[in-house]
Parts: sequence; C-alpha cells; structure tokens
Amino acid sequence: MRAVYVKNTTAGRIFDFFNIAFMIILAFVMLYPFWNQFILSLNEGKDATRGGLYFWPRAFTWDNYTYMFNKGNLGKGAIISVLRVVVGTVTTLFCSGLLAYITTVKWYSGRRFTRVLFLITLYFSGGLIPTYLLFNQLHLMETFTVYWLPGLFSAYYMLLISSYMYNLPEALSESARIDGAGELRIYVQIIAPMCIPVFAAVAVFSAVSHWNSWFDVMLYNSSGKWDTLQVYLRKILLDVEQMSKLMDEQRQIEGMRKLTSASIRAATTVIVTLPIILSYPFMQKYFMSGITIGAVKE
Amino acid sequence: MEIQAKTGIKQSGFKGRLSRIGKRFYRERELWTINFFALAWVLIFAYGPMYGIIYSFYNYIPGRSLSHSKFVGLKYYIEFFTLPDVWLIIRNTLVISSLGLTIGFIAPIILALLMNEIRNIKFKRLIQTITYLPHFVSWIVVASIIFTLLGSEGAINDALMKMGIIHEPLKILGEGEYFWALLTSANLWKGIGWASIIYIAAIAGVDQELYQAGAVDGLGRFGMAWHITLPGIRSTVLLLFILGIGTLLNAGFEQQLLLGTPTTRDYHEVIDTYVYRYGIQQGRYSFATAVGFMSSVLGLVLVLITNKFSKKLTGMSII
Repeated sequence: MRAVYVKNTTAGRIFDFFNIAFMIILAFVMLYPFWNQFILSLNEGKDATRGGLYFWPRAFTWDNYTYMFNKGNLGKGAIISVLRVVVGTVTTLFCSGLLAYITTVKWYSGRRFTRVLFLITLYFSGGLIPTYLLFNQLHLMETFTVYWLPGLFSAYYMLLISSYMYNLPEALSESARIDGAGELRIYVQIIAPMCIPVFAAVAVFSAVSHWNSWFDVMLYNSSGKWDTLQVYLRKILLDVEQMSKLMDEQRQIEGMRKLTSASIRAATTVIVTLPIILSYPFMQKYFMSGITIGAVKE
Repeated sequence: MEIQAKTGIKQSGFKGRLSRIGKRFYRERELWTINFFALAWVLIFAYGPMYGIIYSFYNYIPGRSLSHSKFVGLKYYIEFFTLPDVWLIIRNTLVISSLGLTIGFIAPIILALLMNEIRNIKFKRLIQTITYLPHFVSWIVVASIIFTLLGSEGAINDALMKMGIIHEPLKILGEGEYFWALLTSANLWKGIGWASIIYIAAIAGVDQELYQAGAVDGLGRFGMAWHITLPGIRSTVLLLFILGIGTLLNAGFEQQLLLGTPTTRDYHEVIDTYVYRYGIQQGRYSFATAVGFMSSVLGLVLVLITNKFSKKLTGMSII
C-alpha cells in the first residue's frame, strides 16, 4: 500500500475525522436496510405496523418464517433455486472452460474462427423478442432446461478463462499429447486443475447471477412450475392478487393472525439474501482476482 | 506445413491440397468434435435470435411459418415514430442514463479518492467490503428493501415523523416526479462500491515515486490527491466515461420493472421496458422486435464510435 510521505497537518486531521465519520455513515447506509428487513422478519407483523422498530425486534416470533415455509411453497422454491445455481454453474464452467481450452490450442486451425464467432455475441444479440420466440419454438418454455442451456457457453467467461490459460506453459499439454492423452482428458486432468483460481472467480460470478436472476423465470416459466425464490419474492412484492390470496388463507389459520404482508415479505427477503451474505467471505476471496483477470484481457 | 516436414514429400495441385486439409482435420478431429457442440450451440442460441430479427419485417403471428406471413417491409419501424409516447420513452431513456453518467459516474470516483485517504488498511478493507455488498443482491431484494424502508409505514418516514421533521409520511413511492431521483439513488446504492473498485485499482497503480517527488516539492496531502492521484487515474476515468456514453440507450431494465408502478409510467418507461410490454405482454412480436433492433443497432453504433474515440484519446479500447 501507499507509504505516507507527508506529516499530517491540522487540516489533515480534521479531514481524517470527517472522512472516517463519512465512511461509517456510508457503511451504515449500506448495511442498515438489510438489518431492517431482518428485524422486521423476526417481529410480529401486526406489532410492526405501530412503527418504532429500528434496531431490535420488539415482539419476537418465528411465525413469518414458519408460515412462508409451510404455506408459501418456499421450500420448493429454495430447492429449485439451489438446483439452478448448481446445474447452471457446473455446466457453464465445464463448457465455457472447454471452449476456452480449444481456443488456446495454438496449432488448432479453427481457433480464431471460433473465438471471433463467440466474441461477436458480446456486442450484438438478437434481442428479447426473437430470443423469446426461438425458445418457444425450441419447446424450452416451462422447462428447467431453460435455466442452464442458454448459458452453457459464455463468450465473457471464455475470455476470462482463456486469458488465464494463455499463461500456462504449453509444454504441459504437449507432453501429455505425446503420451497419447486425448484433448478432453488433457483439459480435465491437466489444464482445468491449474485453472482453479480463474474457475473459482467465474463460478462466483455465475452462481451469483443464477441465484439472482428472475426475469428469465418470469418470461419462460410463467406457469410457476419452476419458480425460484426470487420469483416468490417478486410475487409477494408486486402481485396484489397473490398477496390477498395468501392473506385469506392466513385468516383461516388460528394463531397466524399477526402476520402482515410486510412481515412475510421481510422474511422472504431475508431468506433470499442470506445465502449471498453467508457466502460473501468466500466470494470476496475470489471475485477480486476475477476482476483483475478481466482487466488485463488483451 | 508440419505434415510436409514429417512426410518430406511436397504434394502439389488440388488433390494434394485437399489431402493436406484432410490430414489436418484428421489430426484435429478431437478438437473439431468438441468444437462442433460449441458451434452448434452458438449458432442456435446466439445467432438464432439474430436471424429472428427478420420477424420485424413481417406481420408475424406465432404458430404460422414465415412464408405464410405477410411481408410488410419497414412498416413497424416507421410506426414506432408515429406513436404518441415515443418521445416520452426516448426522453426517459436519455434522462435516466444521463443521470447515471453524471451522478452515478462521479460518485464512485469520489468514493475511491476518499477511501484512498484512509490510513488504517483494515478499516479501509472493511469499508470496501461493505460497500460492494449490495452489488451481489438481486434487484428484487433491493426493490423489497426500498418498498419497506420508504413506504408510508417504513422506518424512514417513521423516524422522520418521530423527530418532528415531517408531520405526514412522505409519499416517495408511486409518485412520478420522484421516480428519477429514486431510481438514481437505488442505482447508486447498489452500484457505487462495485464501480469504485476499478478506480481503487487505478489509484494503486499510480507511480509511488511521484508521491516521493511531490513530498520533496512540498506538496501536502490534498495537493498530492489533486496533482498526483487525480491526474494518475485520468485515463481510466476518461476511458470509462467514453464507454459509458456507448451504453446511453441502456438505462436499466429490471429496476424500472420492479420499482415502477402504473402511476409512474410516464417517468419509468424506457426503450427496453417498452419492448417488453409491447412484445411479451401485448403479443405484438413484430413491432417490438423492430423497436428492439433499432435500439440495439443504435447502441452498437454508439459503442463503436465511442470506442474509436477512446482509442484516439486514451490509447485504450474494449474491442
């Protein structure tokens, strides 16, 4: 880090004070909204409408969570979300990595052509409607496949991974080739294990984007058969109809009268956010390396 | 050429050339087999939709083949400009992305400069880590948080009323005139930390000797920030700004869909949400394809121009 070449002056100390105060306020602004949702989710909904809930739950309860898991199908949504993250990330890592590998084999004649064909897709795409119509024709609507197949090969991940692979010594794969190893085997057994850092970074990007995506769920799985957690939250957020249905069910259940739409929403928000926050230290370790790899791409 | 070296016989003529290509393919057969899947995928999933742009020249009805659809030429392209809300949408798109290019652009730079002045490395790391947390949550989560915090019963109204600053809850949500401010703030909250990373990296790359030389010349802390750090990241700032102009037509999409309500339509509807509303929700596929295509061609042209510009000015480009 930067060495300090100047003695601090009085003005500098005053600045330091305000700067640190500002940073603490900024950190509060970034974190408090999450905390606010958290305490709301652990408070009785009816009680929360009285206001004055800032830092700690007043009437503590787990009801919001138990209700959402029992009645709101949240468990099913969670399973689908996790499945999507795992399948989507594993397939795109393997395939985009493989693509990166074949475009870095120096004597391969199809290398440039393939690379260019994929790079074009970074700058131009058919757009929302033609994609929608195509998926319709391919019978991808209302399937789980639509979550991972369209993201199987990613030009962006190819760029990240191949810029890392360029720096690997060529002799490794060459000697394996002389020993008679097939290309797939070289990729899986020799190249991939050496690319763990970049794979980890890409895995973080991919997993986060799969976990957070909701628009494609809405577009291609509108029936709700493969709803992910995000979409459950959106339904609670926006669909008045869905909400009033939930509220009607609620009133029939004794002991669930203290729920409100806001408290249920808070609980769902926490469930959707929690995996991100819990895996944050792990992600933190890898995404910085991912960004710096991206920055040095030729 | 390698084959030549191995066999030692120079084959000539068409036949020889063909057999050389054949041998090369044979040698590369495994790579081509792998590549076959990648190429098939990219042709279907990336170039398929590009071919689908052709729908915008037809009166396309789903379920009917293109040869049975009526060719209408540029009808939908022209129609877009005759509709009453077109200027509203263009205005919203440009206003929202301009706000992003000014406030949303300067804020991360200032944050990076301020962070650079923190002397306690651990504290600096902590603040950095906290500021880019919102980048990793979905817009749905952000929307839910905003609805909760800013709603009439939300913590912010509640606190302001208890403090006696206001007497009635502020109605920020669902009000058209506040929408741009709300959206810009939301974008800022979600993106400022993440956007500042690149500037922090650029600041770390400034030559340390300059600071030493600055100290010798009697520069104070603020002088160094102004005369050394800021000029040191100048090219990064310039590059990102120019590239930002290239995305002028992408004013965001998810946030408008989630934060916008029917009452804010005059302020939140941008080109992308318009395409979605007409295309998917109202089923006017050909028309929406035409609008989307126009916008992405214009976007591409903007990117290419700004990229050229950036190459000239900073020597850096993304293409």
